[in-house]
Amino acid sequence: MIGKRRWGWLLGVVAIVAGLAMMAAAFSAAGTKSRTPSNPQAFPKLRAVLDTIDYLDPQQAYTGQSWWAMWNVYETLLTYQHVEKAAGYKLVPGLAQSLPTISKNGKVYHFKLRKGLKYSNGKKVLASDFKWAIKREFLSTGQGVGFYTDIAGATAYAAHPTAGGNISGIITNNAKRTITIKLAKPRGDFLTILALIFAAPVPGSTGPAIQNGTIPSTGPYKFKSYDPNHGFVMVRNKYFKPTKYIPRGNPNEVDVSLVGDADAATQMVINGQADYSNGAISPDRIANAKSKGRLILRANANTYYFWMNINEPPFNKLKVRQAVNYAIDRSKMQTLIWGGLGQPTQNVLPPTYPSYRKLKLYTHNLTKAKQLIDQAGAKGAKVTVWARQVSDSVDSATYYTSVLNSIGLNASLTTLPKATYYTTIGNVATHAQTGWARWLEDYPHPLDWFDVLLNGNRITDQDNNNYAWYTNKKTNAEIEALKKAPILTPAVNAKWATVEKQIMQQAPWAPWSNRVFPEFFNKSIPAKCIHVQRLYGIDLARLCK
Amino acid sequence: MTAFVIRRLIGMVLVLFAITVLTFLIFFATPGVDPARQFAGRNPDPTTVAAVRHQFGLDRPLPVRYALMMKRLFISRDLVSYGNQALEVVPAIRAATPVTLSLVTGAAVLWIVFSILTGVLAVVFKGTLVDPLLMILALIGISMPVFWLGEVANLITLDRWHDTFLFSWVPPNGYVPLTQNPWQWFLHLVIPWLTLSVLYIGFYARVLRADLLEVQSEDFVRTARAKGLSPERVMLRHMLRNSMITFVSLFGLDFGVLVGGGALLTEVVFGLPGVGKLTYDSLQTLDLPVIMATVIYGAFFITIMSAVVDVIYARLDPRIRPT
Amino acid sequence: MVEPGATDLTLDSAPYLAVDEHEVAIIGRSPWYLAWRRLRRNYVALASLGVFLLIVVCCSLAPVYAHHVAHSGPNDVHAGEHVRVSGKLRSVVGGGAVYDPKTNTFDVKPVIYLAPTWWHANGRFVLGTDKLGHDEAVRLLYGGLNSLKIGIGSAFLCTFFALVLALLAGHFGGWVDWVISRFFDLIWAFPVFLLAIAIGTALQVNGFHHFGINIVPGSLWIPTLVISYVLIPYVGRPIRGQILSLREKEFIEAAVGQGAGPLRVMFSELLPNVASTVLVLFTLIIANNIITEAGLSFLGAGVRPPSPSWGNLIASGQDQIQTAPWLCLAPGLAIVLTVLSLNVFGDGLRDALDPRAKVRLEH
Repeated sequence: MIGKRRWGWLLGVVAIVAGLAMMAAAFSAAGTKSRTPSNPQAFPKLRAVLDTIDYLDPQQAYTGQSWWAMWNVYETLLTYQHVEKAAGYKLVPGLAQSLPTISKNGKVYHFKLRKGLKYSNGKKVLASDFKWAIKREFLSTGQGVGFYTDIAGATAYAAHPTAGGNISGIITNNAKRTITIKLAKPRGDFLTILALIFAAPVPGSTGPAIQNGTIPSTGPYKFKSYDPNHGFVMVRNKYFKPTKYIPRGNPNEVDVSLVGDADAATQMVINGQADYSNGAISPDRIANAKSKGRLILRANANTYYFWMNINEPPFNKLKVRQAVNYAIDRSKMQTLIWGGLGQPTQNVLPPTYPSYRKLKLYTHNLTKAKQLIDQAGAKGAKVTVWARQVSDSVDSATYYTSVLNSIGLNASLTTLPKATYYTTIGNVATHAQTGWARWLEDYPHPLDWFDVLLNGNRITDQDNNNYAWYTNKKTNAEIEALKKAPILTPAVNAKWATVEKQIMQQAPWAPWSNRVFPEFFNKSIPAKCIHVQRLYGIDLARLCK
Repeated sequence: MTAFVIRRLIGMVLVLFAITVLTFLIFFATPGVDPARQFAGRNPDPTTVAAVRHQFGLDRPLPVRYALMMKRLFISRDLVSYGNQALEVVPAIRAATPVTLSLVTGAAVLWIVFSILTGVLAVVFKGTLVDPLLMILALIGISMPVFWLGEVANLITLDRWHDTFLFSWVPPNGYVPLTQNPWQWFLHLVIPWLTLSVLYIGFYARVLRADLLEVQSEDFVRTARAKGLSPERVMLRHMLRNSMITFVSLFGLDFGVLVGGGALLTEVVFGLPGVGKLTYDSLQTLDLPVIMATVIYGAFFITIMSAVVDVIYARLDPRIRPT
Repeated sequence: MVEPGATDLTLDSAPYLAVDEHEVAIIGRSPWYLAWRRLRRNYVALASLGVFLLIVVCCSLAPVYAHHVAHSGPNDVHAGEHVRVSGKLRSVVGGGAVYDPKTNTFDVKPVIYLAPTWWHANGRFVLGTDKLGHDEAVRLLYGGLNSLKIGIGSAFLCTFFALVLALLAGHFGGWVDWVISRFFDLIWAFPVFLLAIAIGTALQVNGFHHFGINIVPGSLWIPTLVISYVLIPYVGRPIRGQILSLREKEFIEAAVGQGAGPLRVMFSELLPNVASTVLVLFTLIIANNIITEAGLSFLGAGVRPPSPSWGNLIASGQDQIQTAPWLCLAPGLAIVLTVLSLNVFGDGLRDALDPRAKVRLEH
């Protein structure tokens, strides 16, 4: 009958419309609705406050804050897992299919890119893009240039870098998605250097000029906008496919404000205007802030130490250097300098390293220190202590100077502006005897410490990083030998621990602290969502609300 | 007059040139300064540092480097900072200028109003206790270092008494642009305005009082009183106008210095990203391009206001011949 | 009143006439004596001069205080020690976050700095302690000594050079005046802090040992020279202005007409007439320089730590301003008191020397 058919037709239309509507709702929900079955922890927006960043260009960025954001934006061939504690230091494949095959002599590395990789603008990721990234590093004089000069042909390229020039040590095949890297000499830390964001592939069309926030990304997020005076915004990269090691990320959007004043940033979190701040809350305010939000204290890989130039009297005598190590009260220094937010140390490496074995060579003993000074005949020796004009450096050096005076030396403090400090103490003509220094790791490998700071073979007359001018045939040889080990096996780590102990027995340094940094969260972020990745700090991908 | 203007313009250009040359020389004469090393990051090898030096033209002779920097600053306007290659110097100064202007103009309005009020009141009540009391307050205002006053203000408004109704409205240190949120802009600037103006209120109140007292004994004032004009009219229309010469010329000089970056201490204490703070930060990191730009910016304002003030003085007081 | 019949009246007759009239001798007094008399009657100005001199004396006795009362030098760190305050034993610097190695966590607690003990601890830590456990009262006095040395020393140098330049500019006029005025402009527009930082840094490593001058690194001469140089226009311009107006007066013309050379005119005619202005400016410049030095040291460009000065005491105290506000308040109040007393005395001096002073300070 006509009436029934009309009703049936109407029902059919309603059913189709309803179905379409539900599909539309499902699609839109996938983009904007808080929770979906595939990612129950997703949430719309993370509002973060950072004190400063330097660049958002992968070949330029060199601060922990910039890397915190860019780790989830620009992927590298190898990367680190989004897990806590020691496992977070383990290298895993990022854009590469698997860990590379390494030739027996440690000089040739073979990689193959994963299939179907795309940038956030939809273009394919090519093997040659990796080579372009390294070339771009030299072309734009990024601060990572020093890391890649061991690639064959890199030094020649660096002397006159051009867009069309070639680095003979990098051979890529786009059809086969392969990358072969040849080194001029083997480097035990090369894999970790490849995992630095400096080596993140960028499209071949990206010019060498610095671009902050506009280069297409390969990670779970991409940059939407960047205003140097206000901050930047990250949104999801829809071309990203999560892997076993790289998750999709919980926040749909990350809004980062740049606020230099740590107290203002902390107040924003307390007021609810922001979810997270990395500002360095000063020790006398930290107890107050703790009750109003969620405070996490994050250890990062740093060591603060006093170096002693073994070529300059009185520190050319081992007894004097040992006396200094006995004299400083490391626990008290944590309270004085950071209000307690630091761990006393006598090691070169911080405790975040798998090879770390806590050294207890020098327990605080002023009497013994004075005896050693007398025995060495150094009583009354004139000493100039160097520090840079930053408050924590001046404070710790002031304490250090008074300790030196109390054990019988005649010490006085000299301070220099931040910009000239390292070049001055790194210049042999200064004849600097002792002073303040700290090292923040570039990448998680002991070579970043021992080779740069304590290898006698790498001492230079100017721009020297080995401020103690420390050299010792035995430890130098051991460091050179360990350079050839490309993977940090437990055996290799044990050898590093031995080298560290031998060096500290010679006491070129008096290390005193591994500083701990406050990370402050609004109470709406549950504690279980806060994960500290060993290298990159608070994992923004795993934060939730 | 035109001869004077031309002479002063020539003088100004010479002074600016001399200042830029001196700044340039001082920078490179400071031991330990090596921008190429800073650019090349950590532990680079010497060839890399040499390549960087060549790329930035840091191995050319000094006069060439100076000329290149001036060209990039004024002609192509693409001079970049040594600390961050993405930071262009001219836009940075342009972004910092409204902050300084907001701070200085607001403080200037406050100090003009209050110093005139204080000076006039002191003269009107001369002979009573009010006069010495106001002058002592003015002297105390001059004797307080502005950065210390700012620290104490922060202590009181942001910490000790922040939870009371008196100061709960005080926002944390920082700056909000006027175009973004006028009310927050105002709130963020109230305490800095008050702090910066205290010193100047004290000074200008004393200057005005001294000038008013001097004018009081002049003939024309006596005539005005004899004519039967009310004391207020005498004060406002006759005395004030004639006493303002010194006030106006000193104001011009002070305003010029402050706009050019002289409010450095106030900006640092209150975290306002103005020209003064930019100068201070660039000096801490020895960032020559930014230092050069802020020095020129500041020197320009100071010398131009100094010339303007001389012209005003000469016009208003014919006894003084401008040089 | 003249006696009838007196025929020759000269200028010299006046005293004798007066003696006849009033039985009182008129003794001519120099303007300096008159000024001194006026000043003597200004009790407020004298009192404030007294305050200033008292501050100078106290600061000069800093070593005595340090040795006998506080038993601590200005740079001695007492962080680990304990002090008996009103019978109770307190630690100098206590509290702070405590690290538990077993759980790898920190128990965050505030750091407790010893508050001013006043007279309860036998003279130790009268004004409490700072971040590193220094005796703040000792540092305040030594800091005052440094600040006063720099303030007064730079005032001398500044006034001397400004006077010389102003005399030259005012007397010769013409292109000499033009050059010196532009030189004033140059100094005035030059960034103080850049100069202070650069010179301080340049001399920090080796000092300056040429031309028979010996400046060691960290010497107080560095901020002194910088401040005195930078404030030359501040003093020079008003003096120059006054000399320009003096130049038009007849007695200068008379001196020149008598054949006096430029040096004689400058020293015998001009200088005495600006002397009162110079004296007042000198007093006020000391006050100004103390504040300038405090500002420079606050920014890290003046007296370098660990040497104390009132400015850098405020700078190092600002991080603890919430838990230890006395660290910022004490040096600030010291500056205010010193500068206020100088300003009040300077005012009194100006009133005494020239009750109708027309000289204005530009700054």
